[in-house]
Amino acid sequence: MPLDVQGTFVSQKINKIRWIPEDYVETKCFFTGSWDDEVNSIKVWNFERINEDEDVEYPKQLSEYKVDGDVTEIKFTDKNTIAVSTSDGNVRLLEISSYNRQTPLRETFSWKKLHNFGDEQCSCTSLDTMEGDIATIGEDGNVNTLSSRTGDITRTITGADSCSLHSICFFKHNEVITGNLRGHMKIWDLRSPNNKPAASFLLAGDELAATCIIHHPTQPHYILAGSESGSLAVWDLRINSFPASLLKAHAAGVTEMQFHPENPNKLLTSSISGELWDWNMEAMTKSTKTSDNWMPLEDKNTMSVNSLMPPLHKPINTISCDKGRILCGADNEAIYLIKNFKY
Amino acid sequence: MNISGFSNTPADSSLKSSDQAKTFILPEQCFEKNIACTWRRGNTFTIYPRSQIVNKTPTNTIDNKILNIRQEILLFTSILRKLVNESNGTFLSLQKTAENAKNSDNQVEFLKLSRQYRSIVRVCIESLQEAAEKETDSLEKNSLLSHITIFYSIECIWHLSEILFIDNIPGDIVLPFLLEWVRFHFPCHEQTAAQMLEACERGSEDHPQYWDTVVGMVVQGRIDVARALLKLHSSAELNEFKLVDNSLRTMPVYSVYGGVSSGEFTIVWKHWQAECRSKLTSQALTSQPNLELIMRLMVGEYTAFESVRRKYASWFDLLGGYVLFTRPWTRSRELAAAADACAALDGPHPQSHLDVIIRALLEGDLHQVIHEIQQMSDNGWFATHLTDILYHCGKLQILDKHQTDVTKRLRDSLILEYGSLLMEHKSLWSVGLSYLASCPPEGLRRAELLLEKIPIETEAKAMRIIAEAKKYELLGVVRTVCGCVCARRLRGGRAGGAVCWAARARSGPLCARAAHRVLRAYCAGAPLPAADLLLTAGPALLLDDTLLFLGKYCDFHRLYKSKEFKKAAKLLISLITSKIAPEYFWETLLLDTLPLLESEEPVFSSTDTYEIMLCLELRAKCLEGEKAELLRLALVRNLARTALLDGEEE
Repeated sequence: MPLDVQGTFVSQKINKIRWIPEDYVETKCFFTGSWDDEVNSIKVWNFERINEDEDVEYPKQLSEYKVDGDVTEIKFTDKNTIAVSTSDGNVRLLEISSYNRQTPLRETFSWKKLHNFGDEQCSCTSLDTMEGDIATIGEDGNVNTLSSRTGDITRTITGADSCSLHSICFFKHNEVITGNLRGHMKIWDLRSPNNKPAASFLLAGDELAATCIIHHPTQPHYILAGSESGSLAVWDLRINSFPASLLKAHAAGVTEMQFHPENPNKLLTSSISGELWDWNMEAMTKSTKTSDNWMPLEDKNTMSVNSLMPPLHKPINTISCDKGRILCGADNEAIYLIKNFKY
Repeated sequence: MNISGFSNTPADSSLKSSDQAKTFILPEQCFEKNIACTWRRGNTFTIYPRSQIVNKTPTNTIDNKILNIRQEILLFTSILRKLVNESNGTFLSLQKTAENAKNSDNQVEFLKLSRQYRSIVRVCIESLQEAAEKETDSLEKNSLLSHITIFYSIECIWHLSEILFIDNIPGDIVLPFLLEWVRFHFPCHEQTAAQMLEACERGSEDHPQYWDTVVGMVVQGRIDVARALLKLHSSAELNEFKLVDNSLRTMPVYSVYGGVSSGEFTIVWKHWQAECRSKLTSQALTSQPNLELIMRLMVGEYTAFESVRRKYASWFDLLGGYVLFTRPWTRSRELAAAADACAALDGPHPQSHLDVIIRALLEGDLHQVIHEIQQMSDNGWFATHLTDILYHCGKLQILDKHQTDVTKRLRDSLILEYGSLLMEHKSLWSVGLSYLASCPPEGLRRAELLLEKIPIETEAKAMRIIAEAKKYELLGVVRTVCGCVCARRLRGGRAGGAVCWAARARSGPLCARAAHRVLRAYCAGAPLPAADLLLTAGPALLLDDTLLFLGKYCDFHRLYKSKEFKKAAKLLISLITSKIAPEYFWETLLLDTLPLLESEEPVFSSTDTYEIMLCLELRAKCLEGEKAELLRLALVRNLARTALLDGEEE
């Protein structure tokens, strides 16, 4: 079946969108987090058929949780709990009932003004989670690690960066990688007591921000970072320092990347230029078999890229993918559901 | 820069109906006297108490208030924001199509986009209806209902404009489209007809609406339905019924592709009507007044239309039928006469707003149409988009009183106005920007002014504004926004952030300011900040001398800490001799030589030492008293141990 794209306007710019995982049935519900509006909120939605016989499903809002500031990141700590960061520097742990999705979200923990410039407000720009641990970053250049079980702040790296941090990735139990406004990447070993990075390197020479970082799902030593310029960098951390490859990809900043949960060879990226792409990353894993250190980028044919929908006129901020269904949220105050994606 | 450019567009100056001022009464007596007002961002202004006289008695108990007054914008409500965003997508596609259409005629594309607009309006009406049904508050409900009315008229006008100006109707025979328009927007009796046909019972005339329905179907040109309904009459076997049925059945229908020329068709048609007329005059139908009425309508008798007029809400219902039974070959330009005739059915009624617009449309007076739809309270959404599409279709030509073509100016002024309105909104600014960008060059100049005024709360927002500004090459905005964030970081004492944003702004002065701040803080005893940044900053350091100095000085610290004293000393000497250090920093710089001079291994050569001595003497003011003496001593001692050494090396 061909790809089926269906858009719904929701009257809010969507900054983050996440499917809520289900155990034995097809996912139906998802979270959205809005930004850049008078009042922003985290909403829970459900796809519903209006007419029984019709195949078209429309998203319907189930609940709303209002927040101050913009929602900057939503990540799951377990199946029914999300960690949410907002631009007023707060981090919250919100739980959704697994029986009735309609019940309002319950706040289990909250860390008020976790990131701050003293009394002044400071944005918590992103967070990442790993088995119940949460690592947060902010414009203040600090890194905090939190425990979702006890609600404690387990570690604070003050002044981890002199600029503002914009992206973080938890790639091993005790190691995180951060990217700042200038594309300066640092690896932090959370076990080491001093506030010095274990390694640091530059994303690219253009001094533009690292907007998102992810690791390969099955080979976590492969780190991918998206740049504000729209390019995509890949590192093999066993070699460190220089990007294994820097790909000129989107026309403008990469906003989010996700490996397909079922097929680690598929990568999805979204961008400020309104593009949503699907990459075949088989080359990356193949190269390890041949014990080749780099991805054979000269061989461009192995890297096939498809556009999943016609480019929007406004930035696409976020993607979430579950099996053959992809959700994305954009600055034109709409969410899009793409069905029949082959993975 | 002409911000209020829309007020002197000739389109306005010829019709001065918007000159009236409105008076609003402030909710309570807020101020004693002496108030002043000032504009804020966008459509907001503030009224505040202002007194020239200094009040010496502080016992004054009136609590002075500041009132923010803002125009309520319909489009900013949640439901209509969907309309704004969705239509923005279509608008941008239209601009792209228009760009491509310069080389080729692309009327089909325009028609598609026009339909898209209409479907957006339809969706909007549906969600408004849904909301109105749910709404319990009667005030809210009323306002929703009034919005629905507005968008119903928009849909109706848009559809007619599409038929008359955007669609390419084969042979320009507008009748089938006109009938469709009537059926779609003024569905009268349709449900009753459907019910009766479904029941399919003989003797349906017992239904109180039977004859109204039959006549309604005839007037809407649904001849088949009318005939089917007539068959349901209990006395359908009568001759009179057969007579009318026969006339209805034999009515010639014109089709461009029918192989009949329009002249030939006219003859056939006139013949058919003459036949009908003769049936009427033969008094064959006098026993059945309802059938007689139908027949009279079919021969296009004006009095017959007059007699059914009061059964309909407006004359639009009858327009299709009137054209059908008087001049079915009417071309779109000739519709004005039919419209006049139908409107006259009302007698000397006051015309509603919609009446005026529809008549102007049928007369082809687009100037009047646009003027009228500007009065609708949809914040200019309709006027902007309709004008734009008509302009791109090449159907709009508006002359001012000096007979110069001002079509483009009119279109631009509407878009600029609409775009500026959206720019005010916290979230819709990017939509507004894309409208402004579609009418260069003025749009971009406005965008520049408005973008700079958007409050920046987070770096994410700043980066988004910068990305948008870069898209339209508004480099001034990029600089301003970066400068703004830079200043904020400086104020918060975040040196690294400040340097980083200054470098993004590519602004020497900002870099210098940030670097000076760092150096002064260091002089005052703070640790040297942002080492991670300065050590990795590449070409950005070259933006400014002070920043370069700071970067190098930071490098010196790194070398010193890693105990590479020789290299550190060399760097320090080059910093001293280059003379780019700011005045206040000389003391620190000179004192930094002290530990190196005192090191076990000599690291400064005698030439270096002379340089330092020279500086020390030239800048005697920087270093005074004991410190200077100490340094002199160290210099002399270093000179003593290196003077001979250097000779050896040479």
